[in-house]
Formats: sequence, C-alpha cells, structure tokens
Amino acid sequence: MDLGKRIASRLEAATFERIAGVGLENAAVNRPRIERSILELGDVVLGDGDSAVVVGAGPSLHRRDSLARLRKSGYTGTVVAVDGALGSCLRAGVVPHLVVSVDPHRERIVRWFGDPAMTAAPADDYFRRQEMDPTLAADEMAANGALIALVDAHGPSMRAAVATSAAPAVVARCEAAGIAMYWWNPMYDDYDKPDSVSRRLHGDNGLPCLNGGGNVGTAAWVITHAVLGKRRIGLVGIDFGYPPGTPYERTQYYPELREMFGDRYAEAFIPVDSPFVGERWFTDPAYYWFRTVFLDMAREADAETVNCTEGGVLHGDSVPLLPLEDFLAKADRRE
Amino acid sequence: MKEFLKGNYKVKTVIKEPAAGEADSTDEFERKALSRLGGSICFVSKKGFLWKGDDGKTDGPRETDR
Repeated sequence: MDLGKRIASRLEAATFERIAGVGLENAAVNRPRIERSILELGDVVLGDGDSAVVVGAGPSLHRRDSLARLRKSGYTGTVVAVDGALGSCLRAGVVPHLVVSVDPHRERIVRWFGDPAMTAAPADDYFRRQEMDPTLAADEMAANGALIALVDAHGPSMRAAVATSAAPAVVARCEAAGIAMYWWNPMYDDYDKPDSVSRRLHGDNGLPCLNGGGNVGTAAWVITHAVLGKRRIGLVGIDFGYPPGTPYERTQYYPELREMFGDRYAEAFIPVDSPFVGERWFTDPAYYWFRTVFLDMAREADAETVNCTEGGVLHGDSVPLLPLEDFLAKADRRE
Repeated sequence: MKEFLKGNYKVKTVIKEPAAGEADSTDEFERKALSRLGGSICFVSKKGFLWKGDDGKTDGPRETDR
C-alpha cells in the first residue's frame, strides 16, 4: 500500500490522540457558557424546504466562484457553513443560517470570526500558507479588521453550532458578536465501551454526541441531515484535496509531513482524478481519510448528498457530482 | 533469546536483549507522530451519527453555575 494510504488507515486512532486532551480541557472551560443543546435547532426554521447547501473552505469555493453563484440564484433553502468559510460567505453576501465550529486549537480558529485580540500578523503561517481564505493571506491585519466588522454586523442574524471542544476564544467571540450558540459534544470514542470518554462527557453536560467524520466539513454535513433534518444536501467548497499545481508547501499538513518523512514527504501525497473538471488533484493522508469516511457515512445517511464543489476528490456512488446550478434549480422546484 | 542458546559451548558474541521499553517507545513515537496528522474531530466507526444517551433522548444541557 502507498505510504499516504497507509498513514490514512491509521488516522482514526491518531485523531483521538491529537484532539481529545485539549478538546476535553476546552469542554471544561466552556461548561458555564452552555445554555442550549444543538437539538433545539430541530425546532427552528432555518431556510425554506428540506434542502440545504453545506459550505466548506476548500479551494474550489474560490476557483468556481460558488458563493457568488449561490447568491445570484436567490436560493432560499438552508445554508450551513464551516467556520473557515464564514468570511468568504459574508464577503459574497451569503449570510449562513448556521456556522459550525469544532476545532479545539486555542489560537487559530478565532481568526475565522475575526480576532479582536490580534495586534500584528502572527508568526504562525497557517493562514498565509493555505488557500482556504485567500483574503486572509494577502494582508492579515486588514483582513482581520474587515472580518471583525462583518461578523459583528451579521452576528445577530446567524446561529452557531459549537462543539464543546471549541476554543474558548471562539466562544467569547461568538458571544461578543451576538451569535446564538447551540452546543454538542464531539463523539470521541465508542460510547458503549466501559471507559468511554464520550459517555462521561455526555453524563457531565447532557449534550448529544455527534460523529464528526474527522473534520468540520463532515461535521457540518452530519448536523445538516441528522439534526436539521434536511433531506437533499449540496456541497460546495468541500474538496478534501488540492488543485493540480498547488505547491506542497502550501498544503495543510506540509510541516508535519516534512518533519516526519524528510525529503520523502512527497510520497505521502495521493493523486486523485477529479472527473468534473477533468483534472488530477492530489490529497494528503488526512484529507484522504476524510474522503473515505465521508463516502462511507453518506451511504448510511437518510439524505441525498450531491457534490457541487466542481473539483476536489470527494466523489463516489454515495456522493455523485452535480453542477451547482442544477442542484439549486432542482431544490427550487421542490421547495 | 538466551533460553534458546543453551549448550556445552560459549558464544563470543554478546547478545543484547532489547530493552523492555524499546519497542514500546517506538510505538509511542509513531503514535505521537501520526497524531499530528489527524483531524479536528474524531470519527467513530459503526456508531451512527448522533448519540443522545441510552434512553435515546437528552434533556438538554445540564444546569451549571454561570
């Protein structure tokens, strides 16, 4: 088996190792701020009908101008965005009904909401290095200031599905911007096992545990069908990969792969054909794992999911490809 | 290893037994290295999408002091 796929096959356990400690610490800090369960969103009308668009922060979002096209369509169904796509949505005039945040990283994630505490461009090149939000890469300070104003302006008309693992800075930022928060626990492990972390956490705070599929994009999709009850879901910006020509050093896990494998790091990347655009994209072990998990989960979901990213590596029997306008037109006819 | 090398002779080469924790520490290194490549939320195989507790429902967030 290729190096990348071999690593990917071991990431289910590795992810627990990566995030359980800090996620549980954050849950303890966030505990006094928890007022509403995510299940309450089942009683809230978020958009018309039973369709939804889930917005990820992958490079196709900008390459395909997906948000401008979504806005132009006049789509009235539900829009659920990952935190990393919030800035792109608001700049495009798309105010998501729901923003999803889960990553426990203490410093980085608040940047997706505009970080009021940021006084200089940080040494961490996470945002400059990647294509998730190109605006943040150009002039970090100016982009941060503009994002703070946008999120403050639209905060009261949005809701956030916040995992208990989320960074306390994200929680404080949502509160300051007037974004109503609905809480859930990440499912950390098998709740039927005797020493289950998930069971202990649920016992402590009474919140449901959500199987997140490794990343916030998949978690947003799970919320959309399992909590909001949407039955037809179109994905945009959920690529789980990189367009051809992307330098390896501009990929999310480059520093870690370089450190682990030295000059052999490139062997960990996996090429995947993207039939919609007729391109060969590539992915890394983590994104390949996300893709595999998503395709498996989609087979079990009580919802039809189509991939309207028009790029990326997420496609298979359970997630067919469809141009965004075709999905939106079909959704409109059924609303 | 030493229990398999019994006889009426003596070997010149000193056979080193692996230190007890050596294999463990390699595993530990690999585990830590891999953990840096993991995701931002877990995936738990074959456990559905949402667990609301054993009774199939949750009563919402428990009371806590603010």
